[in-house]
Amino acid sequence: MRRARSLADLVLAALCLWAAWYHTPPGALLRTAFARLFGARSATPPLLSYYGAGARTFQLAEPLPPRAVLSPGAALGLGAQSALERTSPADRAQVLARAGLRSGSADALGDWIGREAQRQGSREAAVLSLFCGEEAARFARERSGSGRGGASLEELARQLPPLYADRVALAATALTLGTAYALGWPLPDSAQVTSPFGVRAHPLLGARRFHSGIDLGIPVGTPVRAAAEGIVRRASDDRVSGRLVLVDHGSGVSTVYCHNDALLVAPGEVVTRGQVIALSGNSGLSTGPHLHYQLDLPRGPADPLLFRAARPPQLASGGTEP
Amino acid sequence: MPVPATDPPAGALDAAARLADRLRWFFLPLALCALVAVGVHTAADVVGEIILRMVDAADAAFDGLVSRWSVTAPLVDLVGPSQRIFFARAVALLWELAADALLALPMLGYDERADEVKRFRELAAKARVRPTTLRVAHPFATGAVALAGSCAVGRLLEGTLHFGLRGAIGSAADALARGCALAAVLGLVSFIAWRAVVYALVRADARSDRIPFRRARAFTVGLPGALLLLPLALAALRAAPLLSFLR
Ligand SMILES: [Zn+2]
Repeated sequence: MRRARSLADLVLAALCLWAAWYHTPPGALLRTAFARLFGARSATPPLLSYYGAGARTFQLAEPLPPRAVLSPGAALGLGAQSALERTSPADRAQVLARAGLRSGSADALGDWIGREAQRQGSREAAVLSLFCGEEAARFARERSGSGRGGASLEELARQLPPLYADRVALAATALTLGTAYALGWPLPDSAQVTSPFGVRAHPLLGARRFHSGIDLGIPVGTPVRAAAEGIVRRASDDRVSGRLVLVDHGSGVSTVYCHNDALLVAPGEVVTRGQVIALSGNSGLSTGPHLHYQLDLPRGPADPLLFRAARPPQLASGGTEP
Repeated sequence: MPVPATDPPAGALDAAARLADRLRWFFLPLALCALVAVGVHTAADVVGEIILRMVDAADAAFDGLVSRWSVTAPLVDLVGPSQRIFFARAVALLWELAADALLALPMLGYDERADEVKRFRELAAKARVRPTTLRVAHPFATGAVALAGSCAVGRLLEGTLHFGLRGAIGSAADALARGCALAAVLGLVSFIAWRAVVYALVRADARSDRIPFRRARAFTVGLPGALLLLPLALAALRAAPLLSFLR
């Protein structure tokens, strides 16, 4: 009897060691150490990729440009198409064949995800279904305890074995890009870009610095609107960014609105798309009234214009920053 | 689990059982440490969301402070909103490693006793009479993360079997995976996680005995560690979907 118990304990111990060795950061540290020690090649993923259930997103050099103003469904379709561009042609063909799709166009993918979201209960589960298959999405949904709808991609991904990690990453990328494509604009389209995104000479500090958003020149007191629904994570005041609002739209997408005159929302508040969240101003380190509008994706800030069909008028010179 | 000694596979099984019996001293501490580490990671992953909220608040306060002087103003960009997730995960990683040092690593010293139930009863009774922060916090946190660890290992096994065998045996893989996962979770909770709690109590008891019994000291010794472990333990309980294995 005791020996049989020992055998059962040994099997359980093996399970624990397997899980700890391959699925925890300390396990990854040990694997790297062992690989170094014995001169073996180690393919340990970065330690921080063990968080968020491995739902990391890929860095996309240049997302596919939208041709027109997109509905949320079409935006998600374009996000999925952009993510699919990351895969090999064989993988892409497999994903499309499994979904029964002839074309990998944004419209076809958007329609498919919309229908699947009806069946699976959420767009997260639908996108997971596209990239990992219906069975994996069902498995994750049933076990995440949220039944129909509600579960974030992380919660769903946490239920899946690691062999899906790469596919989950594609789903996360699709959701992130889809959310970014669906963003509205905080100001009327007529607002001029006074300073673009990217490296440029700083108007006040002089040196060449990375500009993490775009500046839109507008008179003080112009209503600033939330680019999409979300939760206010930050409504604060400092002497560089001035009065700023940070709205989290989910799927790793957040938008930041700096240099306002007055903030109309508080942290934790849920805002709707188009809701006036601030009145623009000239607060913080700024040379003139403007809104610094910033789009943040999981891998860093991105140019909000890349996700937008309509281009606002550009002002050739000057700058109003940071 | 009686093993008939007559047929050859059972003979091999018996030999394996005998070997396993001889190696208990070696693999049980490793199993305890690994299970607690898996549980701590599961909890730290869940707690990442809360950390993100804390990073937001801390970043706002930090920016408010450093932006007052032009020399330090560029530091405002140090934790830009885009680095929030990276930063939060880095904090979660440090938190996890600290909790591993407090809970998982000591498990390597596990010394099995013939009657663990008796050992547990005695120490639990002592903890009721002379409670200290250590005697309460460490066994509770160990139990919570070991439970979460058991569920995480069970889910990992279930997913691996479900998707690994589906090609070979079709929909039967679902039932097999569910059965194995349930058996694994029950086995882990009753054979491994339970021992981890006992040993956490043993260690907490030994450390508590070393502090002179004055109420204040009994409360303050180990308090920072307990404050570090408590949020993680609560997150672990949230991340232990025991019932989902029965559905
Ligand atoms: Zn700017």
